[in-house]
Amino acid sequence: MRRIVAITTPLTLLLLIAPLLAVIPAGLTGGETLALPPEGLSLRWWKVLAEDPRWGEALLNSLLVGMGATVVSLALGVPAAIGLWLARFPGRGVVLALCALPLAVPSVTAALALYFGLAAIGLANSLAGLALAHAVLGVPFVVIAVLASLRMVDPVLLRAAAASGATRPAAYARIVIPLASPGIAAGGLFAFAASFDELMVAIFVTAPGAFTLPRQMYAGIREQLSPAIFAAATFVTVLAITLMWTAETLARRRVRGA
Amino acid sequence: MRLLLVLLLTLPCLARAQSELTVVGFGGGFQDAARRALFEPWSRATGIPVRDDSYNGEMARIYAMTRTRDVVWDVVMVEAPELARGCEDGIFQRMDWSVVDRTKFAPSTTSECGAGAVSWGAALFWDTTRTARAPKGFAELWDTERFPGKRALRWGAKMTLEVALLADGVPRDQVYAVLATREGQDRAFRKLDAIRDDLVFWRSGAQPMQLVNGGEATYALGYTGRVVQANAQAPGRYAMDWGTLLWSVDSWAVVAGSPHAAEGFRFIQGITELEPLKRLAAIWPASPAHRAFAEDAAIRAANPDAVASHAAQGLFLDTRFWVEKGEDLEKRFAAWAQR
Amino acid sequence: MNDRRTAFVLITPLMAALALAFLLPLGLTLWRAVANPEFRDAMPRAAHLLRAWDGTGLPPEPVFAALATELPGAQAAQTLGAVTRRLNEERSGMRSLLLATARAAPGMEAPYAAGFATLDPAWADPATWRFLRRAASPMTAAWLLRAVDLAQDDAGRVIAAEALFRPMLLRTLSIAATVTLICLLLGYPLAWHLTRMRPEHARIVRALILVPFWSSILVRSAAWIALLQRDGAVNAALVGSGLLDAPAQLLFTRGAVLLAMVQVLLPFMVLPLAAVMGRIEPRLMLAATGLGAGPVALFLRVFLPLSLPGVAAGCAIVFTVAAGFYVTPALIGGARDQMVGSFVVFFTNQTINWGMAAALSALLLALVGLVALLSRNALRRIAA
Repeated sequence: MRRIVAITTPLTLLLLIAPLLAVIPAGLTGGETLALPPEGLSLRWWKVLAEDPRWGEALLNSLLVGMGATVVSLALGVPAAIGLWLARFPGRGVVLALCALPLAVPSVTAALALYFGLAAIGLANSLAGLALAHAVLGVPFVVIAVLASLRMVDPVLLRAAAASGATRPAAYARIVIPLASPGIAAGGLFAFAASFDELMVAIFVTAPGAFTLPRQMYAGIREQLSPAIFAAATFVTVLAITLMWTAETLARRRVRGA
Repeated sequence: MRLLLVLLLTLPCLARAQSELTVVGFGGGFQDAARRALFEPWSRATGIPVRDDSYNGEMARIYAMTRTRDVVWDVVMVEAPELARGCEDGIFQRMDWSVVDRTKFAPSTTSECGAGAVSWGAALFWDTTRTARAPKGFAELWDTERFPGKRALRWGAKMTLEVALLADGVPRDQVYAVLATREGQDRAFRKLDAIRDDLVFWRSGAQPMQLVNGGEATYALGYTGRVVQANAQAPGRYAMDWGTLLWSVDSWAVVAGSPHAAEGFRFIQGITELEPLKRLAAIWPASPAHRAFAEDAAIRAANPDAVASHAAQGLFLDTRFWVEKGEDLEKRFAAWAQR
Repeated sequence: MNDRRTAFVLITPLMAALALAFLLPLGLTLWRAVANPEFRDAMPRAAHLLRAWDGTGLPPEPVFAALATELPGAQAAQTLGAVTRRLNEERSGMRSLLLATARAAPGMEAPYAAGFATLDPAWADPATWRFLRRAASPMTAAWLLRAVDLAQDDAGRVIAAEALFRPMLLRTLSIAATVTLICLLLGYPLAWHLTRMRPEHARIVRALILVPFWSSILVRSAAWIALLQRDGAVNAALVGSGLLDAPAQLLFTRGAVLLAMVQVLLPFMVLPLAAVMGRIEPRLMLAATGLGAGPVALFLRVFLPLSLPGVAAGCAIVFTVAAGFYVTPALIGGARDQMVGSFVVFFTNQTINWGMAAALSALLLALVGLVALLSRNALRRIAA
């Protein structure tokens, strides 16, 4: 196995980041099209990004919507996954299938359905509505990921905890949640990424003038594929790396301090 | 966290200002130019705030909006077939010709629900730094021996089947009569089969230039505005054959049920006046639907690359035809493509 | 029992939210696949009379009269457009026929049957009327049939239509399955390696896996265009290093689509796998080794079965998401690489044929569900 991974791991990682490596120089091109190697180096597309306030707003909107959607889908999905893990009951398969349904429906159909659903409660043209819609789309990730990481754990542990005198909520807090945490983290991450990159619902459920980042990138694509989207992607990537590094450092410091 | 939720929930209440007009176009460089030359001056002159958004022709959003009676778009730029269909379906309001002066538009650029905005067209172009020889007209485009290399056409039936028939020798004024028949359609697909291996297809208007620049295509059918734009940056680099022009007209329309319809009509009247349009044409190779752009010799001379100046030698994309046969032919095209 | 009640309490919030916010609207949207309201809503009397007629020969005069009144009425009310579009999609020519009749009808007088026939011989053809009678019924099978390349002839019998969606659906599933397989083959070793690495390395690798998440799929597809085009970086490297004489056709191929899709979906496979693998007790592996298991047996008999929940989760997510893809094949795939999703978008956004869009969506959903079900049973049988 070690020999296999010595070869496959670097190749796989290269595949994963190849487009990103391409994006950075592509965003610095002086030309108007996507060219690698770029047609001369220039900051003109970064200037477009800096000068047009829509990009900054789009990024902010995407972050807000993403966070809101993640919070809601975790709040709904984690308890549901725990419930599904806890007991086998008739219809469990159906419930699981329903939880996974938003993932399986083609995005444009889901977008249309969610639009009409939100319109019924008056949120069809708002960011809050978009966050709710994204929460619905993020739930399958949360449920599947949490269930997978709980699959190895036997519910009998809970009964053991109860037998040793732990109350129900304590048992959950002390035992189940920590065991499920890799799944919760993975699920939450997927839900956020799904929302951050979601286009179809964002096309339908857009507050006027309040684009999300994918919508902003998609804007005008009928007319032009501007390298500005590469500059935007580079910026977001750098932002992501910074955030993740900060989170890691803080976590490490907390562990060290504890 | 709670603050965030409260913030998110109050966002819908930050509803649109009292009489702000929302104008939706196709985005890109044209809309940026239109904003500077048309929207902002009109907004300043009338004191009515204008916000412009962009879309990519997703009519479903407009249909959904009118159905739920929560119309947030006021004025929209639409392509001809979508305008015709939308007008029939009642998602666009009948144009108020008492506010908008119908006589200033070029003939056949106005309709029941639409006032002509710009003419646009697509024609064959190539990069002169990569290719010295080029076919003259569509018939020669099929000659892959004399003119080797890939040809880029639009993915879909529209603008591709016409090209096939034109290449097969059908006169311009009979193209749609032939295409309306089953035999005509088969003829077009057979013609496409002849150079099938040398064809690549594009979906977005940005791609033809991308394909030519990236070496994926030698000759491409692309939007004239984009080519003219590119030539502005690199003079003379791209050569275009105006004789292969396929063109149509995009229009402004007011969405049915819009709370700002009255301002919308005033807006349309204001941005289709000659002076603002001349300002627009000065900063972007647009071809406004004002009759002066087709009739006035001085204006024509000032805008040699406007579609209106070349429309006479081009093929007008028949709106009625595509409204009726569009879905059917798109399916046939997809079936042909994946064979 | 207590457990069941707790489970019920935990699951209910999500189920309620899903039911209201998603399942109900989705059901209504998918219902359009069989709903047939246009004709009956626009011209109720004509529709009612048509259904009352037995369908043989030509209908009685009241039907003509009803149409003569209701056609112009629908046109004025702007409801005729939906009807003509709906009918034209199933039977070409209906649109122009109805529009012409709507314009001419106000000038006609009773008996209308003769007037209609003079206007257009189609009105004297029983086939037209049989079709209209079918169009007046509350439900239609037209969209579901067309989604599997079938249609109904004049008599209502099912006949074959041009092959379009069946090959496309099969291709969609095949691409999704291939992508899932490749993701598994690449992702499994990576996940294994990730759980065995030193923490510092693991952090970096995890970052490399997660960072692509933040870039839009549009950007990534565009990046692949820049990388794979004839004058792109990959070709430049291949030709420059002497591996190739001339640039190869990399773009607009199935390979490009698979490559791009794998790049997008790989993290969805790796992360659940790593989460599950990280839980596998090293002591189990040690114990098995102590009992004399060689490395191959160790992997096959101990590690692999324990990692199956991760495999199942990853495959489920990747396959389902892959089946709904359409942007990537549209931008970097060839003519023979297009997936069903693009047609769902076409019908929803371009032709506003939501019935057809719903039919295709429902079919895709059913197929994805079927594959999921079959593979779950297959996995169970393997695990047993």
